[in-house]
Amino acid sequence: MELSQVRYFIALSRTLNFSRAAAECNVTQPAFSRAIQKLEAELGGALLFRERNLTQLTELGRGVRPHLEAMLDAADAARDLAASRNARAPASLKIGLGPGIGAASIAGAVREVAAALPGASIHFEEGGPAALIEAMLNDMLDCALLPDFCDLPERLNRWPLYTDRAVAVLPPEHVLARQNAVTASDILGETILAGEYCGGFSHRLAAGGFSLRLQRCNGPTSQILDLVAAGLGIALLSDRLSIAAPLTSRPFHEPELTRKILLTAVAGRPLNPAAASFVKLCRAQTFV
Amino acid sequence: MAELGRNGFLNQVLPAGAVFPDFMLPSAEGRLVSLSAQLARGPVIVSFFRGEWCPFCRLMLAALTEALPEIEAAGATLLALTPETGGLALTMKQYHGARFEVLCDVDCGVGLAAGVVFQIPKLYRARMAADFAERQGNAGFFLPIPATFILAPDGVVAWRFADVDFTHLAEPADIIDAVRSLRETA
Repeated sequence: MELSQVRYFIALSRTLNFSRAAAECNVTQPAFSRAIQKLEAELGGALLFRERNLTQLTELGRGVRPHLEAMLDAADAARDLAASRNARAPASLKIGLGPGIGAASIAGAVREVAAALPGASIHFEEGGPAALIEAMLNDMLDCALLPDFCDLPERLNRWPLYTDRAVAVLPPEHVLARQNAVTASDILGETILAGEYCGGFSHRLAAGGFSLRLQRCNGPTSQILDLVAAGLGIALLSDRLSIAAPLTSRPFHEPELTRKILLTAVAGRPLNPAAASFVKLCRAQTFV
Repeated sequence: MAELGRNGFLNQVLPAGAVFPDFMLPSAEGRLVSLSAQLARGPVIVSFFRGEWCPFCRLMLAALTEALPEIEAAGATLLALTPETGGLALTMKQYHGARFEVLCDVDCGVGLAAGVVFQIPKLYRARMAADFAERQGNAGFFLPIPATFILAPDGVVAWRFADVDFTHLAEPADIIDAVRSLRETA
Protein backbone atom coordinates (compact mmCIF):
# COMPACT_ATOMS: atom_id res chain seq x y z
CA MET A 1 0.00 0.00 0.00
CA GLU A 2 1.06 3.58 -0.48
CA LEU A 3 1.43 6.32 2.08
CA SER A 4 -0.89 8.61 0.14
CA GLN A 5 -3.63 5.95 -0.06
CA VAL A 6 -3.53 5.53 3.70
CA ARG A 7 -3.49 9.29 4.22
CA TYR A 8 -6.55 9.66 1.98
CA PHE A 9 -8.41 6.88 3.75
CA ILE A 10 -7.77 8.40 7.19
CA ALA A 11 -8.94 11.83 5.94
CA LEU A 12 -12.04 10.17 4.50
CA SER A 13 -12.78 8.25 7.68
CA ARG A 14 -12.69 11.55 9.60
CA THR A 15 -14.82 13.60 7.20
CA LEU A 16 -16.98 10.79 5.72
CA ASN A 17 -17.22 13.01 2.66
CA PHE A 18 -15.31 12.26 -0.55
CA SER A 19 -15.12 15.78 -1.94
CA ARG A 20 -14.18 17.38 1.37
CA ALA A 21 -11.55 14.74 2.12
CA ALA A 22 -10.07 15.07 -1.38
CA ALA A 23 -9.90 18.86 -0.98
CA GLU A 24 -8.25 18.45 2.41
CA CYS A 25 -5.60 16.25 0.81
CA ASN A 26 -5.08 18.65 -2.11
CA VAL A 27 -5.94 16.09 -4.74
CA THR A 28 -8.64 15.83 -7.40
CA GLN A 29 -11.64 13.71 -6.57
CA PRO A 30 -11.09 11.12 -9.34
CA ALA A 31 -7.49 10.58 -8.20
CA PHE A 32 -8.69 10.41 -4.61
CA SER A 33 -11.36 7.80 -5.42
CA ARG A 34 -8.90 5.72 -7.42
CA ALA A 35 -6.48 5.67 -4.50
CA ILE A 36 -9.22 4.52 -2.12
CA GLN A 37 -10.26 1.80 -4.60
CA LYS A 38 -6.68 0.57 -4.84
CA LEU A 39 -6.42 0.38 -1.08
CA GLU A 40 -9.72 -1.53 -0.96
CA ALA A 41 -8.42 -3.97 -3.58
CA GLU A 42 -5.31 -4.55 -1.53
CA LEU A 43 -7.11 -4.97 1.78
CA GLY A 44 -9.63 -7.31 0.20
CA GLY A 45 -12.95 -5.49 0.45
CA ALA A 46 -14.89 -2.26 0.61
CA LEU A 47 -13.75 0.11 3.34
CA LEU A 48 -16.77 2.41 2.94
CA PHE A 49 -20.43 2.24 2.05
CA ARG A 50 -20.95 4.79 -0.69
CA GLU A 51 -24.55 5.89 -0.47
CA ARG A 52 -25.83 9.21 -1.70
CA ASN A 53 -26.14 11.03 1.57
CA LEU A 54 -24.40 8.57 3.73
CA THR A 55 -20.76 7.62 3.54
CA GLN A 56 -19.91 5.20 6.30
CA LEU A 57 -17.08 2.88 7.20
CA THR A 58 -17.76 -0.80 6.65
CA GLU A 59 -16.81 -3.33 9.30
CA LEU A 60 -13.52 -3.88 7.45
CA GLY A 61 -12.97 -0.12 7.31
CA ARG A 62 -13.62 0.27 11.04
CA GLY A 63 -11.34 -2.67 11.77
CA VAL A 64 -8.32 -1.44 9.83
CA ARG A 65 -8.71 2.25 10.61
CA PRO A 66 -6.89 2.36 13.99
CA HIS A 67 -4.00 0.30 12.60
CA LEU A 68 -3.64 2.39 9.45
CA GLU A 69 -3.88 5.52 11.56
CA ALA A 70 -1.09 4.27 13.83
CA MET A 71 1.05 3.43 10.80
CA LEU A 72 0.43 6.83 9.21
CA ASP A 73 1.29 8.56 12.50
CA ALA A 74 4.45 6.46 12.74
CA ALA A 75 5.46 7.44 9.20
CA ASP A 76 4.83 11.13 9.91
CA ALA A 77 6.58 10.95 13.27
CA ALA A 78 9.70 9.27 11.83
CA ARG A 79 9.91 12.02 9.21
CA ASP A 80 9.00 14.93 11.53
CA LEU A 81 11.52 13.82 14.11
CA ALA A 82 14.27 13.76 11.52
CA ALA A 83 13.14 17.21 10.33
CA SER A 84 12.99 18.71 13.81
CA ARG A 85 16.47 17.41 14.51
CA ASN A 86 17.67 19.65 11.69
CA ALA A 87 15.37 22.54 12.46
CA ARG A 88 15.97 22.53 16.24
CA ALA A 89 12.33 23.38 16.78
CA PRO A 90 11.20 23.60 20.39
CA ALA A 91 9.41 20.47 21.56
CA SER A 92 8.04 19.23 24.81
CA LEU A 93 7.71 15.80 26.35
CA LYS A 94 5.14 15.47 29.12
CA ILE A 95 5.07 12.10 30.84
CA GLY A 96 2.68 11.00 33.58
CA LEU A 97 3.95 8.61 36.22
CA GLY A 98 1.37 6.51 38.05
CA PRO A 99 1.48 5.84 41.79
CA GLY A 100 4.94 4.81 42.95
CA ILE A 101 6.29 4.52 39.40
CA GLY A 102 9.72 6.08 39.17
CA ALA A 103 11.36 7.67 36.16
CA ALA A 104 14.56 5.61 36.50
CA SER A 105 13.48 2.91 33.99
CA ILE A 106 12.55 5.39 31.28
CA ALA A 107 15.31 7.91 31.96
CA GLY A 108 17.49 6.44 29.21
CA ALA A 109 14.76 6.95 26.62
CA VAL A 110 14.15 10.52 27.84
CA ARG A 111 17.87 11.26 27.63
CA GLU A 112 17.90 9.99 24.05
CA VAL A 113 14.97 12.21 23.05
CA ALA A 114 16.59 15.24 24.69
CA ALA A 115 19.86 14.51 22.90
CA ALA A 116 18.11 14.19 19.52
CA LEU A 117 16.01 17.30 20.08
CA PRO A 118 18.11 19.84 21.95
CA GLY A 119 15.78 22.47 23.32
CA ALA A 120 13.04 19.97 24.17
CA SER A 121 11.53 20.57 27.58
CA ILE A 122 10.78 17.60 29.78
CA HIS A 123 7.98 17.46 32.26
CA PHE A 124 7.04 14.66 34.66
CA GLU A 125 3.73 14.53 36.48
CA GLU A 126 3.23 12.06 39.31
CA GLY A 127 -0.38 11.28 40.15
CA GLY A 128 -3.22 8.84 40.56
CA PRO A 129 -4.40 6.93 37.47
CA ALA A 130 -7.69 8.82 37.14
CA ALA A 131 -6.00 12.23 37.20
CA LEU A 132 -3.32 11.16 34.72
CA ILE A 133 -5.87 9.63 32.34
CA GLU A 134 -7.93 12.82 32.43
CA ALA A 135 -4.80 14.89 31.77
CA MET A 136 -3.96 12.72 28.76
CA LEU A 137 -7.48 12.98 27.35
CA ASN A 138 -7.29 16.78 27.79
CA ASP A 139 -3.97 16.90 25.98
CA MET A 140 -2.09 18.06 29.09
CA LEU A 141 0.10 14.94 29.03
CA ASP A 142 1.53 13.06 26.03
CA CYS A 143 1.60 9.64 27.65
CA ALA A 144 1.65 7.97 31.05
CA LEU A 145 3.04 4.92 32.80
CA LEU A 146 0.22 3.21 34.67
CA PRO A 147 -0.26 -0.08 36.50
CA ASP A 148 -2.36 -2.60 34.57
CA PHE A 149 -4.93 -3.03 37.36
CA CYS A 150 -6.40 0.46 36.95
CA ASP A 151 -9.42 1.06 34.72
CA LEU A 152 -8.21 2.21 31.33
CA PRO A 153 -10.70 3.70 28.87
CA GLU A 154 -10.94 2.07 25.43
CA ARG A 155 -9.50 5.22 23.88
CA LEU A 156 -6.09 4.58 25.37
CA ASN A 157 -3.45 2.60 23.53
CA ARG A 158 -1.41 0.47 25.92
CA TRP A 159 1.87 -1.37 25.62
CA PRO A 160 3.35 -3.50 28.42
CA LEU A 161 6.75 -2.15 29.51
CA TYR A 162 7.87 -4.18 32.50
CA THR A 163 6.79 -5.89 35.69
CA ASP A 164 7.88 -4.38 38.96
CA ARG A 165 7.90 -6.14 42.32
CA ALA A 166 7.67 -4.91 45.86
CA VAL A 167 10.70 -4.29 48.03
CA ALA A 168 10.61 -3.47 51.74
CA VAL A 169 12.25 -0.09 52.26
CA LEU A 170 13.87 0.01 55.70
CA PRO A 171 15.29 2.76 57.88
CA PRO A 172 19.00 2.69 58.80
CA GLU A 173 20.02 -0.13 61.18
CA HIS A 174 16.61 -1.83 60.93
CA VAL A 175 16.61 -5.41 62.21
CA LEU A 176 15.08 -6.74 58.94
CA ALA A 177 18.06 -5.37 57.00
CA ARG A 178 20.03 -8.35 58.35
CA GLN A 179 17.87 -10.63 56.18
CA ASN A 180 18.29 -11.22 52.45
CA ALA A 181 14.57 -10.95 51.86
CA VAL A 182 11.48 -10.01 53.79
CA THR A 183 8.18 -11.92 54.04
CA ALA A 184 4.66 -10.86 55.03
CA SER A 185 4.98 -12.48 58.44
CA ASP A 186 8.19 -10.53 59.10
CA ILE A 187 6.37 -7.20 58.87
CA LEU A 188 3.23 -7.97 60.89
CA GLY A 189 4.61 -6.06 63.86
CA GLU A 190 5.86 -3.12 61.83
CA THR A 191 4.23 0.18 61.03
CA ILE A 192 3.84 0.38 57.27
CA LEU A 193 3.53 3.72 55.55
CA ALA A 194 0.81 3.41 52.95
CA GLY A 195 -0.60 6.08 50.71
CA GLU A 196 -1.81 6.67 47.21
CA TYR A 197 1.76 7.05 45.90
CA CYS A 198 3.08 3.81 47.35
CA GLY A 199 1.97 1.70 44.42
CA GLY A 200 -0.76 -0.25 46.20
CA PHE A 201 1.48 -3.11 47.38
CA SER A 202 0.62 -2.85 51.08
CA HIS A 203 -3.08 -2.43 50.36
CA ARG A 204 -3.05 -5.57 48.26
CA LEU A 205 -1.30 -7.43 51.06
CA ALA A 206 -3.90 -6.19 53.56
CA ALA A 207 -6.71 -7.17 51.18
CA GLY A 208 -5.12 -10.61 50.98
CA GLY A 209 -5.90 -11.23 54.66
CA PHE A 210 -2.75 -10.02 56.44
CA SER A 211 -3.57 -7.73 59.34
CA LEU A 212 -1.02 -5.00 58.86
CA ARG A 213 -0.45 -1.91 60.93
CA LEU A 214 -0.91 0.69 58.21
CA GLN A 215 -0.03 4.32 58.72
CA ARG A 216 -1.94 6.38 56.20
CA CYS A 217 0.54 8.65 54.52
CA ASN A 218 -0.22 10.58 51.34
CA GLY A 219 2.37 12.48 49.41
CA PRO A 220 5.03 11.95 46.77
CA THR A 221 7.42 9.02 47.07
CA SER A 222 10.35 11.24 48.01
CA GLN A 223 8.52 12.34 51.15
CA ILE A 224 7.52 8.77 52.04
CA LEU A 225 11.23 7.93 51.89
CA ASP A 226 12.01 10.88 54.20
CA LEU A 227 9.51 9.54 56.71
CA VAL A 228 11.00 6.04 56.52
CA ALA A 229 14.43 7.58 57.17
CA ALA A 230 13.00 9.46 60.15
CA GLY A 231 11.88 6.13 61.65
CA LEU A 232 8.10 6.49 61.28
CA GLY A 233 7.83 3.05 59.72
CA ILE A 234 8.78 0.93 56.75
CA ALA A 235 7.29 1.04 53.24
CA LEU A 236 6.56 -1.43 50.45
CA LEU A 237 7.57 0.22 47.19
CA SER A 238 8.51 -0.70 43.63
CA ASP A 239 11.96 -2.26 43.12
CA ARG A 240 12.49 0.18 40.26
CA LEU A 241 12.65 3.26 42.46
CA SER A 242 16.16 4.32 43.34
CA ILE A 243 16.56 4.01 47.09
CA ALA A 244 19.47 6.09 48.38
CA ALA A 245 21.53 5.47 51.52
CA PRO A 246 21.05 5.53 54.47
CA LEU A 247 17.81 3.68 53.54
CA THR A 248 18.10 0.06 52.47
CA SER A 249 15.70 -2.17 50.59
CA ARG A 250 15.19 -5.90 50.67
CA PRO A 251 13.20 -7.99 48.15
CA PHE A 252 9.73 -8.81 49.41
CA HIS A 253 8.39 -12.33 48.89
CA GLU A 254 5.84 -14.75 50.36
CA PRO A 255 3.60 -13.62 48.88
CA GLU A 256 5.22 -12.18 45.77
CA LEU A 257 3.76 -8.75 45.06
CA THR A 258 4.10 -7.68 41.42
CA ARG A 259 2.35 -5.37 39.02
CA LYS A 260 2.59 -4.87 35.27
CA ILE A 261 3.43 -1.36 34.14
CA LEU A 262 1.93 -0.18 30.87
CA LEU A 263 2.81 2.75 28.66
CA THR A 264 -0.44 4.45 27.65
CA ALA A 265 -1.32 7.19 25.17
CA VAL A 266 -4.55 8.40 23.61
CA ALA A 267 -5.34 6.36 20.47
CA GLY A 268 -5.67 8.18 17.18
CA ARG A 269 -4.06 11.38 18.40
CA PRO A 270 -0.78 12.24 16.68
CA LEU A 271 2.00 12.93 19.18
CA ASN A 272 4.57 15.68 18.79
CA PRO A 273 8.01 14.48 17.59
CA ALA A 274 9.49 14.35 21.10
CA ALA A 275 6.61 12.32 22.51
CA ALA A 276 6.33 10.07 19.45
CA SER A 277 10.02 9.20 19.61
CA PHE A 278 9.80 8.57 23.35
CA VAL A 279 6.91 6.12 22.84
CA LYS A 280 8.81 4.39 20.04
CA LEU A 281 11.98 4.10 22.12
CA CYS A 282 10.00 2.57 24.97
CA ARG A 283 8.17 0.15 22.71
CA ALA A 284 11.33 -0.86 20.86
CA GLN A 285 13.26 -1.97 23.90
CA THR A 286 12.95 -4.53 26.63
CA PHE A 287 13.14 -3.46 30.26
CA VAL A 288 15.13 -5.96 32.27
CA MET B 1 1.81 -13.70 -2.76
CA ALA B 2 0.60 -14.26 -6.29
CA GLU B 3 -2.21 -11.89 -5.48
CA LEU B 4 0.23 -9.21 -4.33
CA GLY B 5 2.07 -9.66 -7.61
CA ARG B 6 -1.11 -9.41 -9.69
CA ASN B 7 -2.27 -6.32 -7.86
CA GLY B 8 0.76 -4.38 -9.00
CA PHE B 9 2.16 -4.15 -5.50
CA LEU B 10 5.67 -3.49 -6.78
CA ASN B 11 4.48 -0.34 -8.58
CA GLN B 12 3.88 1.15 -5.16
CA VAL B 13 7.38 0.51 -3.89
CA LEU B 14 9.58 3.61 -3.89
CA PRO B 15 11.40 3.43 -7.26
CA ALA B 16 15.00 4.20 -8.17
CA GLY B 17 15.37 7.94 -8.63
CA ALA B 18 12.94 8.83 -5.83
CA VAL B 19 14.11 10.48 -2.63
CA PHE B 20 13.87 8.15 0.34
CA PRO B 21 12.04 10.08 3.09
CA ASP B 22 14.32 11.01 5.99
CA PHE B 23 13.51 9.24 9.25
CA MET B 24 14.65 8.82 12.83
CA LEU B 25 14.02 5.51 14.57
CA PRO B 26 15.08 3.79 17.79
CA SER B 27 17.94 1.33 17.47
CA ALA B 28 18.13 -2.10 19.10
CA GLU B 29 20.22 -0.52 21.87
CA GLY B 30 17.69 2.27 22.53
CA ARG B 31 19.36 5.14 20.70
CA LEU B 32 17.72 7.34 18.07
CA VAL B 33 19.30 6.95 14.65
CA SER B 34 18.52 9.31 11.79
CA LEU B 35 18.91 8.51 8.13
CA SER B 36 20.32 11.93 7.25
CA ALA B 37 23.09 11.57 9.86
CA GLN B 38 24.08 8.25 8.26
CA LEU B 39 23.87 9.68 4.73
CA ALA B 40 26.30 12.41 5.75
CA ARG B 41 28.94 9.67 5.87
CA GLY B 42 28.17 8.09 2.49
CA PRO B 43 25.71 5.75 0.80
CA VAL B 44 23.23 3.92 3.03
CA ILE B 45 21.68 0.49 2.53
CA VAL B 46 18.20 0.30 4.03
CA SER B 47 16.99 -3.28 4.33
CA PHE B 48 13.53 -4.27 5.60
CA PHE B 49 13.11 -7.45 7.60
CA ARG B 50 9.87 -9.09 8.61
CA GLY B 51 11.15 -10.22 11.97
CA GLU B 52 13.21 -12.46 14.11
CA TRP B 53 10.72 -15.34 13.53
CA CYS B 54 11.27 -15.36 9.73
CA PRO B 55 13.82 -17.98 8.61
CA PHE B 56 14.51 -16.21 5.30
CA CYS B 57 15.24 -12.98 7.11
CA ARG B 58 17.61 -14.84 9.42
CA LEU B 59 19.48 -16.20 6.41
CA MET B 60 19.69 -12.75 4.88
CA LEU B 61 20.91 -11.20 8.13
CA ALA B 62 23.56 -13.88 8.48
CA ALA B 63 24.70 -13.18 4.91
CA LEU B 64 24.79 -9.43 5.52
CA THR B 65 26.73 -9.88 8.75
CA GLU B 66 29.28 -11.82 6.75
CA ALA B 67 29.31 -9.25 3.95
CA LEU B 68 29.58 -6.25 6.29
CA PRO B 69 33.37 -5.78 6.00
CA GLU B 70 33.03 -5.54 2.22
CA ILE B 71 30.05 -3.20 2.49
CA GLU B 72 32.02 -0.96 4.82
CA ALA B 73 35.07 -1.13 2.59
CA ALA B 74 32.86 0.17 -0.21
CA GLY B 75 32.05 3.13 2.03
CA ALA B 76 28.41 2.27 2.80
CA THR B 77 26.42 2.05 6.03
CA LEU B 78 23.88 -0.73 6.52
CA LEU B 79 20.61 -0.15 8.38
CA ALA B 80 18.30 -3.14 9.02
CA LEU B 81 14.69 -2.24 9.85
CA THR B 82 12.25 -4.55 11.61
CA PRO B 83 8.69 -3.86 12.80
CA GLU B 84 9.25 -5.94 15.92
CA THR B 85 9.18 -4.29 19.36
CA GLY B 86 9.82 -5.28 22.97
CA GLY B 87 13.54 -5.92 22.59
CA LEU B 88 13.19 -8.31 19.62
CA ALA B 89 15.41 -6.07 17.48
CA LEU B 90 18.17 -6.57 20.04
CA THR B 91 17.53 -10.32 20.15
CA MET B 92 17.84 -10.41 16.36
CA LYS B 93 21.03 -8.40 16.43
CA GLN B 94 22.68 -10.46 19.16
CA TYR B 95 21.72 -13.74 17.53
CA HIS B 96 23.71 -12.76 14.46
CA GLY B 97 26.45 -10.87 16.26
CA ALA B 98 25.61 -8.11 13.81
CA ARG B 99 27.69 -4.94 14.02
CA PHE B 100 25.33 -2.87 11.87
CA GLU B 101 22.36 -0.93 13.26
CA VAL B 102 19.10 -2.85 13.64
CA LEU B 103 16.34 -0.24 13.87
CA CYS B 104 12.85 -0.70 15.17
CA ASP B 105 10.30 0.55 12.61
CA VAL B 106 7.52 0.80 15.19
CA ASP B 107 4.07 0.46 13.56
CA CYS B 108 5.76 0.09 10.13
CA GLY B 109 5.81 3.85 9.53
CA VAL B 110 8.97 3.96 7.44
CA GLY B 111 7.88 0.78 5.66
CA LEU B 112 4.66 2.53 4.68
CA ALA B 113 6.55 5.60 3.45
CA ALA B 114 8.74 3.31 1.32
CA GLY B 115 5.67 1.47 -0.03
CA VAL B 116 6.78 -1.96 1.18
CA VAL B 117 4.00 -2.74 3.67
CA PHE B 118 1.21 -5.20 3.06
CA GLN B 119 -1.47 -6.79 5.22
CA ILE B 120 -1.36 -10.52 5.83
CA PRO B 121 -4.61 -11.89 4.39
CA LYS B 122 -7.04 -13.24 7.02
CA LEU B 123 -6.73 -16.74 5.63
CA TYR B 124 -3.03 -16.95 6.54
CA ARG B 125 -3.02 -15.21 9.89
CA ALA B 126 -3.95 -18.28 11.89
CA ARG B 127 -1.40 -20.43 10.06
CA MET B 128 1.53 -18.21 10.91
CA ALA B 129 3.20 -19.19 14.11
CA ALA B 130 4.32 -15.72 15.18
CA ASP B 131 2.09 -13.65 17.47
CA PHE B 132 2.23 -10.37 15.57
CA ALA B 133 0.04 -8.42 17.95
CA GLU B 134 2.49 -9.10 20.75
CA ARG B 135 5.69 -8.91 18.71
CA GLN B 136 4.83 -5.63 17.00
CA GLY B 137 2.67 -4.15 19.77
CA ASN B 138 -0.05 -3.64 17.16
CA ALA B 139 -2.74 -6.07 16.02
CA GLY B 140 -2.95 -4.80 12.45
CA PHE B 141 -1.19 -7.77 10.79
CA PHE B 142 0.92 -5.52 8.63
CA LEU B 143 4.36 -6.64 7.49
CA PRO B 144 7.01 -5.24 5.18
CA ILE B 145 8.12 -7.24 2.16
CA PRO B 146 11.84 -7.92 2.57
CA ALA B 147 13.01 -5.08 0.32
CA THR B 148 16.45 -3.49 0.13
CA PHE B 149 17.24 0.07 -0.98
CA ILE B 150 20.63 1.59 -1.68
CA LEU B 151 20.60 5.34 -1.18
CA ALA B 152 23.11 7.77 -2.63
CA PRO B 153 24.42 10.35 -0.13
CA ASP B 154 21.74 12.80 -1.33
CA GLY B 155 19.05 10.33 -0.20
CA VAL B 156 18.00 9.33 -3.73
CA VAL B 157 17.28 5.62 -4.29
CA ALA B 158 20.11 4.43 -6.55
CA TRP B 159 19.21 0.74 -6.54
CA ARG B 160 16.47 -1.32 -5.05
CA PHE B 161 15.50 -4.92 -4.64
CA ALA B 162 11.88 -5.79 -3.92
CA ASP B 163 10.02 -9.03 -4.47
CA VAL B 164 6.64 -10.01 -3.11
CA ASP B 165 8.00 -13.54 -2.70
CA PHE B 166 9.53 -13.50 0.77
CA THR B 167 11.86 -16.36 -0.16
CA HIS B 168 13.56 -14.05 -2.70
CA LEU B 169 15.91 -11.63 -1.03
CA ALA B 170 18.65 -9.37 -2.29
CA GLU B 171 22.02 -11.05 -2.80
CA PRO B 172 24.76 -9.43 -0.70
CA ALA B 173 27.09 -9.69 -3.73
CA ASP B 174 24.60 -7.63 -5.80
CA ILE B 175 24.35 -5.08 -2.99
CA ILE B 176 28.12 -4.73 -2.82
CA ASP B 177 28.36 -4.38 -6.62
CA ALA B 178 25.67 -1.70 -6.61
CA VAL B 179 27.40 0.24 -3.82
CA ARG B 180 30.73 0.04 -5.67
CA SER B 181 29.22 1.28 -8.93
CA LEU B 182 27.57 4.11 -7.02
CA ARG B 183 30.99 5.17 -5.79
CA GLU B 184 32.47 4.98 -9.25
CA THR B 185 29.80 7.21 -10.78
CA ALA B 186 30.10 9.72 -7.94
